[in-house]
Amino acid sequence: MEKLTLLLTALILTFAMPAYANHDGNDHAAHAESGETTHAEVPTAPGDAHVSVNGLVCDFCARALEKVFGKEEAVKAIDVNLDTKIITVNFNDSQTLSDERIKELITDAGYNVEEIHRVE
Amino acid sequence: MRILLCALLGMGLFIPSVHARPVSYPGGWTLMLMNNGDVNNTHVHYSPTAKTSVGYKFEYWRDKDFTLNAVQMNNLLKRWNERDSQANLYIKSGLGVAHGNVGSDAGDIVGETSAAGFTGIAADWENRRFFTSYENRYTEAGEIDDFYQQSARVGWAPYEGDYGDLHTWLMLQVDHSPESKDNFTVTPLVRLFKDVHLLEAGMNNRGEVLFNYVFRY
Repeated sequence: MEKLTLLLTALILTFAMPAYANHDGNDHAAHAESGETTHAEVPTAPGDAHVSVNGLVCDFCARALEKVFGKEEAVKAIDVNLDTKIITVNFNDSQTLSDERIKELITDAGYNVEEIHRVE
Repeated sequence: MRILLCALLGMGLFIPSVHARPVSYPGGWTLMLMNNGDVNNTHVHYSPTAKTSVGYKFEYWRDKDFTLNAVQMNNLLKRWNERDSQANLYIKSGLGVAHGNVGSDAGDIVGETSAAGFTGIAADWENRRFFTSYENRYTEAGEIDDFYQQSARVGWAPYEGDYGDLHTWLMLQVDHSPESKDNFTVTPLVRLFKDVHLLEAGMNNRGEVLFNYVFRY
């Protein structure tokens, strides 16, 4: 039991606490400073899509959608926000995906589309 | 029992993929290394579509002292996607060959080779704070061994990480092996998950280490 306590304590202190300390409210700013984008600051253009998705509960879910959309030529970038359950899809100039195609990609990845909003 | 096993294996291996969902995303590869008090195993699988995965499984059962090489297929039978949670029901089955190890303490299986198979149901439910799962498995390895196992887990995340953050879970796993002398074991463990890496470490009430690593790409 002593070994167990030591093991769990060491793992938690080593990995969990720094992540927790960095999480609240600060990670989005850090991403922005480093040039990465998150949902709050995702630059969008007319025609880009905000998609509300059911079943987005973990990083694996987000990564699956990123991989699936990343194979589409029309897609410039994708941002996944696990808090709002909204993915933002940026398209290359003069390219897009239909709502039906977006639904198909998300459904095939194992999730459900709640609604799609296009940026005007 | 053999008829039941064949039927379950048939369901797992040949269920039409149109009725199931994938374990991983289409085109995704997964490497799983699992180690606990009973077994060391390696499982590599590929999801050709969004509905199933197929791969190779190697297991070394230390106390039973035999190894198993199998082709394993996993089918997602049902997924429930809700706004803030997800639940899944899987069937996992494999067919292959078991070998009793040379130098084994269990003398009557030394050098023995037998066709082997296993099948089981797995279910889970999670949101970003809580996790629960259950799975069972029946293994048939001819003259070498046959046994049934089941396990359940509950988990809690101390914080909700965003996409790309380190995700941390504190979990408790209970294993039940009816044929074992100590047929219940309890394992507190920590799950750490970042990017494509998932790592789990813990120790059960018999002092045996659990160490799991999953790489998905």
